[in-house]
Amino acid sequence: MSETDTSTTERTDTGDAQTAALGSTGLTKRFGGIVAVDDVDLAVPEGELRAIIGPNGAGKTTLFNVLTHALAPTDGTVYLHGEEITDLSQEQRPHRGLARSFQSNQLFNELSVLENVRVVVQTIESGPFSFDLLGEGRSQHREQALDILDSVGLTDKREVTAKNLSHGDQRRLGIAMALATDPSVLLLDEPTSGLGTNETGLVTDLIESVHQDLGLTLLLIEHDMDIVLSISDRVTVLDQGRVLATGTPDEVRGDEEVQEAYLGGMREEL
Amino acid sequence: MSDESATNRTGEGLVSGLPLGALNRYKVPIGSVLLVILLRPLVSMEFLLGYGSVANTILIWMLFAASFNLLLGYTGLLSFGHAMFLGIGAYVTAIGLSRFSSSFVLSAVVALALAGVAAYLIGRITVQKGEIYFAMLTLAFGTTAHFIANYNPAGLTGGTTGIAGGAVPAWIETERGLKYVNLGGFQFDWYWLVAAAVLVGLVVLWQIVRSPFGRTLIAIRENKELARAMGINTYRYKVWAFTLSGVVAAYAGTILEINEQGATLSLLTVETSGDVILMTVLGGANYFFGPVAGAFVWLFAEDYLTDFEMLVLPLKEVPIVSLELAGVLAYWQFFLGLLFVIAVLIAPREGIWGLLRDSIETLYDRLRTGEEDV
Repeated sequence: MSETDTSTTERTDTGDAQTAALGSTGLTKRFGGIVAVDDVDLAVPEGELRAIIGPNGAGKTTLFNVLTHALAPTDGTVYLHGEEITDLSQEQRPHRGLARSFQSNQLFNELSVLENVRVVVQTIESGPFSFDLLGEGRSQHREQALDILDSVGLTDKREVTAKNLSHGDQRRLGIAMALATDPSVLLLDEPTSGLGTNETGLVTDLIESVHQDLGLTLLLIEHDMDIVLSISDRVTVLDQGRVLATGTPDEVRGDEEVQEAYLGGMREEL
Repeated sequence: MSDESATNRTGEGLVSGLPLGALNRYKVPIGSVLLVILLRPLVSMEFLLGYGSVANTILIWMLFAASFNLLLGYTGLLSFGHAMFLGIGAYVTAIGLSRFSSSFVLSAVVALALAGVAAYLIGRITVQKGEIYFAMLTLAFGTTAHFIANYNPAGLTGGTTGIAGGAVPAWIETERGLKYVNLGGFQFDWYWLVAAAVLVGLVVLWQIVRSPFGRTLIAIRENKELARAMGINTYRYKVWAFTLSGVVAAYAGTILEINEQGATLSLLTVETSGDVILMTVLGGANYFFGPVAGAFVWLFAEDYLTDFEMLVLPLKEVPIVSLELAGVLAYWQFFLGLLFVIAVLIAPREGIWGLLRDSIETLYDRLRTGEEDV
């Protein structure tokens, strides 16, 4: 495909990256000769639930990694609430309100469910580094952590070692930990992957309630088209690292180029 | 207690309010007090070693190993150069006492400060490298420290012989090979000062690992990437864990300096760094008392089996016992090595202490269910 694609209103975000909750201009990540994220312009307005879809290897997770600076971008700019944060380190970002969950279950495996969340609350309360050698860590910030566990429905399992949780509970714990950073913008990487129907429903409900009750801006990588079409405000389609289209679920569904990119597997789902 | 309600909300608060709750909460300091009080009488028992002087050395090494575990067990950093901090503690104290005639306290304070600065700077260079590079770099720094002490700069470190003369503070008296402390007109056995000093060191380490700082170290050990994504500056935490660990190791070194009446080059060898790794893993890096147990087993076995050899030695003359049991037992390092291999294969992070805890828990559960049956 040529670089000089005519950009229609659907091709790019209509908003301005600098006034959006989370925005980027020309965001690019190269690994040697491979361009995993290619000149991505994003503008996700406050309070929007934006789904990021695309075939495998489209660069969705890499986009999250670059937005959170888990990987430094090769080029481009990232904005959070109008502030440029391109060079802000990964560990600084949760303290500015940008949090993420992971595709694979990333947890503090040997710690209890409560301690997983409590450590995050502690970190947000005390900063990226705190030389606090006094007191008993485990007894601090318990109440906040318990409240968050309550909101994701893990109160009963607070003393369970994280690695012993069911897959679905681990996903919920991952979301709980991201919520514990008290984010304004939350990036969720395939929160329902590998879950059964029941658990998928629970996690989807959780995402909707987080979006509606807390008014968070959400970016959601998701494969399940039913979920994407039912809960997202707008959808961004990635293919080979590029933004193929951005629009409402209906607009994206009707886009020919999007259908082409998905060819077999996803076409019938769309 | 004000936080009683907070603990009651969770399962682990079930026993709070009872003395058992406090017992559980303060089990490490309580255990440490019992340890330092009971260790010497225990090893002095006829059927064990029959003499207590080795208890001093064991206690100091317990503290050294526990300081090492702040890195390995709590932060997940495997250093091959921890001996350098024990050595800095011992050498700087000995240099202060013997070359500058300064007081022990001043020498020790300078030793801890220097160890802290060295650890901080080395930590800044090494902690963020990959595991292998961290191991190699700490090994290199440890070897450098050994080289410097051996080089004997300005005649300070005494080269291969180390520092032997005039390196004991005036308030230490030696009578027939036994040391006594003579402070403000009171005379008491050197062991009790070692016990008090090691107790302080252990309690300091315990406070570090239970503090918010220590809980963050554990999170970093569990998952570095997640820790960073959740807003933890893993680099600074690791640098400070390395620094604190080095300072406590140097503190152990200052006590060891008096115990050994000087500083020897062997303290700075790669073997010393290796021994403390073996002790910690053998004892169980997952537990506070793991390395303490490991140091005990290691040093006790060394003494016990060496003695055994001496006791059995005359049997060598009797042709019937040509099995040479004594000769076999003299290879105590081989058997410890074997034990180490078994521990690593069965439960790499559990060690002896973990196995002991598990068996006690199993026994306790059996006893309890037994009671319920009645």
